[in-house]
Amino acid sequence: MATTKKISLSEEELVNALKRQDTVAIKALYDMYSGALLGVISRIIQHTEVAEDLLQETFVKIWNSAGSYDASKGRLFTWMMNVARNLAIDKLRSKDFKNANKNQDIENNVDFIDQQKKVSFNADVLGLKDMVINLKPEFKDVLDMVYFKGYTHVEAAEELNLPLGTVKTRVRMAILELRKKFN
Amino acid sequence: MEEVKAYIESGILELYVLGQLNTQECSEVEAMANKYPEVKAELSAIELALESYALENAVAPSSALEEKILAQFNTNTITEKLPEPKVVPLYEGQKDGTVRTLRFALIACSILLVVSLGALFSAHNDLSQANEQIATLSLDKEKFASTVSKLQFDKSGMENRIAMTETNEWATVKLAGVKDSPKAKMLVYWNKNNKNILINYAAMDLPKTDQAHEYQLWALVDGKPVSLGVFGNTDNAKEAVKQMETIAKAQAFAVTIEPTGGSQNPTMEKMVVMGGVTI
Repeated sequence: MATTKKISLSEEELVNALKRQDTVAIKALYDMYSGALLGVISRIIQHTEVAEDLLQETFVKIWNSAGSYDASKGRLFTWMMNVARNLAIDKLRSKDFKNANKNQDIENNVDFIDQQKKVSFNADVLGLKDMVINLKPEFKDVLDMVYFKGYTHVEAAEELNLPLGTVKTRVRMAILELRKKFN
Repeated sequence: MEEVKAYIESGILELYVLGQLNTQECSEVEAMANKYPEVKAELSAIELALESYALENAVAPSSALEEKILAQFNTNTITEKLPEPKVVPLYEGQKDGTVRTLRFALIACSILLVVSLGALFSAHNDLSQANEQIATLSLDKEKFASTVSKLQFDKSGMENRIAMTETNEWATVKLAGVKDSPKAKMLVYWNKNNKNILINYAAMDLPKTDQAHEYQLWALVDGKPVSLGVFGNTDNAKEAVKQMETIAKAQAFAVTIEPTGGSQNPTMEKMVVMGGVTI
C-alpha cells in the first residue's frame, strides 16, 4: 500500500468519489491532505499518537459525513479542515485528555511563550521546506491562534489583549499576505 | 458595490472560512456569496490561501499510519464494494424453490407417517380386541348351539317317552346296575304287538366307553343270550331314540360293553345293567 503511486484527483473527482463512497477517495485524500490535516491537528494536540488517532478519526468522519458536504458552500479542504480541527478541539477540551496532559501544561505554555518571544521555531514546523511564509509576526500570531490553535477570534482577542476588531483585521491582513504569496 | 466591498473588508469572510461564525452568521455569508460573485470569489481566494498555508505547515504522519487508516477502510468498506460473487446453482433452474418445497413436503410426509403409525397401532389394538371378542362370542355360540342340540336331543327323547306312555302297546323294562356299576340304569321299550325294541338315550345312565368299545344289548331267551344290536355313547348318538332288533320273547335284557362292532357272545364281566321282564 505504501509503495503504490500517490493518487491525486481534482477537487471535483474527489468529491464525487467521496459521495459515491469509493475508497479511492480515501487513498487520494490521504495522499493529498493527510499531512496538512495532521498539521492542523498537531497544532492543537501536540501528543503525536493522540494526534494521529485524531487524524484517523478525521478520515472516518469525512467518509461517514461525506453526504453532508455541500460544494456550493466552500472548498472540500476547508470542510475537512474544520472537521479535523473540531475533533481536535473537542479532544483538547475533553476531561480525560485534560487529566492525562496536566504535566504537559507548563511545557505547552513555555512553548507558547517562546513562540511569542520568537526565540524558537515551532518544532512542528521545523523541517518544512524553507519557511516561505514570512508573515509579519503580529499577523502570524493571530492567524495561528484562530487557524491552528483552536482559539475563537474572541478568545484570541482576550488572550492577546487586543480589541476584537483588531483581531479581525489582523486575521484578514494575514490571509491577504498569504494570498499574495500563494496566488 | 460599496456595500459589497465593505462587507468583504469587514473580515467576516475570513472568519467564515475559519469556522468561527455561528449558524445564523454562516447563512448570511452564504446568502451574500450567492448574491454577489465578488463575495464568492473572495471566499474562494481565502480558502485557497488557507489551504496552501495548511499544506505548507503539513506534518508528515508516521509511515505506519497510512496503512492503518487505509486498512480500516479496506476491511470495512472495500469488501462491501466488491461485486457479489456470483453463485452458480449446482443444478440448472430454480432448484432452490423446489428444494424448499421438497423439504416442506418431506416434513409433511414425516408428520403424516407418524400420525399414520399411531392410527395403525390404535387400529391394530382395536382389531385384536375385536378378534378376542369374536373368539369369545363364537365359543359362546358353540356352547349355546351344543346346549341347544343337547336340549333338542333330550327333548325328542322325552317326547318319545311321553308318546309311549300314552299307548298301552309299550312295555317298559327297567335295567338296573350290577356289582361293577351299581349306579348304572336304563330303560328298554318293547312293543307288545310288533315286538320292536327301542332304547332312549334320555332314559339311560351307563358308564362311559372308550373309542374302541360300544354297548351291546342282549335278550336272554330261554337261558341263551341273543344280540339285539350295538349302540354307542350318548355323545355320538344322532337320534335320541334308537330302534334295536326285534325279539319275539325274552325273559331278561342286559347290556355289556363290547369291542366296537359287537361280539358273538356277551362278555359277562363287562355287563353294566340287567333287568328281568315282568310282563
